[in-house]
Amino acid sequence: MTDRYFLWMAFIFYVGASALTLWRLRNNRSQSSLHHINVILIVVGFLMQLVGLILRGQNLHRCPLTNPFEVTVFIVWALVLFYLVIGPSYRVSFLGAFTAPVVTLILLTGLLTASDAPHAPVLKHSPWVEFHAGIGILACGAFALAFVVAAMDLVQNRQLKSHHPSPTFRLLPSVEQLDIIGVRLLMLGFILLTVGMIGGVISDKLVEAWPWQKVAWAWTTWLVYAALLAARTIGNWRGRKASAATMTAFVFLLSAYWGTSWLVR
Amino acid sequence: MNLVIIGLNHCSAPVAIRERVAFPRAQLGAATCELLGAAPVAEVAILSTCNRVEIYALAADAGQATQALRRYLHSYHKLTESIDAHLYERHNRDCIAHLLNVVCGLDSMVLGETEILGQVKDAYAAAQTAGATGAALNRLFQKAFAAAKHIRTATAITRGSTSVANVAVELAEKIFRDLTQSTVMVIGTGAMSEATAKALRSRGAGSILVCGRDRERSGALAGQLGGRAIHYDDWPVEFPKVDIVISATASPHPIVTREKLVPLMKERHQRPLFLIDIGVPRDIETACDELENVYVYNMDDMQQIAKENLAAREREIAICRELIAERVTRLAEWLEERYK
Repeated sequence: MTDRYFLWMAFIFYVGASALTLWRLRNNRSQSSLHHINVILIVVGFLMQLVGLILRGQNLHRCPLTNPFEVTVFIVWALVLFYLVIGPSYRVSFLGAFTAPVVTLILLTGLLTASDAPHAPVLKHSPWVEFHAGIGILACGAFALAFVVAAMDLVQNRQLKSHHPSPTFRLLPSVEQLDIIGVRLLMLGFILLTVGMIGGVISDKLVEAWPWQKVAWAWTTWLVYAALLAARTIGNWRGRKASAATMTAFVFLLSAYWGTSWLVR
Repeated sequence: MNLVIIGLNHCSAPVAIRERVAFPRAQLGAATCELLGAAPVAEVAILSTCNRVEIYALAADAGQATQALRRYLHSYHKLTESIDAHLYERHNRDCIAHLLNVVCGLDSMVLGETEILGQVKDAYAAAQTAGATGAALNRLFQKAFAAAKHIRTATAITRGSTSVANVAVELAEKIFRDLTQSTVMVIGTGAMSEATAKALRSRGAGSILVCGRDRERSGALAGQLGGRAIHYDDWPVEFPKVDIVISATASPHPIVTREKLVPLMKERHQRPLFLIDIGVPRDIETACDELENVYVYNMDDMQQIAKENLAAREREIAICRELIAERVTRLAEWLEERYK
């Protein structure tokens, strides 16, 4: 069985979790049994994805981060990893339910559109390069979960401001809790991104000069998140606009990555 | 053997009757023991709340048993006039269905309320301690508790607050991470602001400030709520520290305006602010709600939410009844099989 088989299997489990989410939101159901089914579907999807990535890694004899397809799959995997680590510790109701559709959408985009050129390695085989790429992907996972939390915050804020909240309002956490988690995820992602950037600068000097498009993308992303984090912590930026900006930053990160990868190709 | 119930509730009897036949909690056990000797029943349990008094029993002759239970109610409470017209009776299958409806809150004054489950549990525990329950009532009550638990999670019958005060609490819980860290300010004392502040306090609201023109009244309310009374003119000084404001003044003009709020929000680092406007005319300028992280709700908003929540609960009744019917059939079959 090929790695793609496992990735498609993972996709099917994430679709199942997303369908369950939509059903729960539609029918206003918050039973713990349904929550457990949701988590199980996501965990099985995560494991399938892990098997897929391991198979691909064995095939390539290196960390599978050589093309946009692999990077996209890895970002999705890191997002689910953060959800599985952070979700239980903060006890955020419906975080998994909101994570599932985002995971499904990004993975589907990766599976259908991202370039998966098997014999055109963009990166040289070096521990510095792999450190840079791996930590960078983890940062993207944290930013992706911050995107999910920001989406939940927007929905909850909209409900509260409407003055006639729908039953969904009862299923979601408080806006203050979502704000705190969002900022912490941004901080975590930014620290990881900075460490990854340092790895990138070292590999640029020691291993191979990166294409300028990639360098520009990386620094722009770093600056965007630095500004966003400063605004949300020092500038006390909270609420709908802050959440919308967090979501926009992640959309920029993904689209700029895909765009620069296409340019480099 | 037959399962029987005799009782009255908020639909069948006015409060003047209900209060006369209520059993004090401390006397439930003794009354249950007394009933075992006074009526031809094998098992018995008394449920007594502010809205209902019901006696559940297992008896060989249902007719004789209910007559004896009626007599007992009159004699125990020393009633001079008959309350028979207010009493209802249910037998076997109907008795099982009635208890299941009661524990699920379908027969309550506030549809879907959950307090009744605890009250029925207390009644059952008292009867058990008095040695008045056996196989039939044990099974009936335990199955009823299991049904209530299942129906609570499988349907939305208990979801959404149906009183204005609880709607305010529910909204506060969706704005703030932890109510115990929140400070509540009550501006102007009145029945509604008092009820809302009490509801917030009961859910653990951190500290409460009461400010009113009448120092004595605000002091008394602050004492009741375990809070602090402040002078009416001092509320703008305390305002930046406050997270939830319940405003119910008689002021002819809004006392909280957008203009005043903008610098205050900066001072509180844009932390969320929940403004509950109970005043008529309104105390809080509508434009305040346009500000980021400020949530303004007035009486109409909260009454509308309470009404919608009640309507949503009513829509769940049919599902609950279906779930109850399945369990009633199983329990009735068991009862028939055991005592045929």
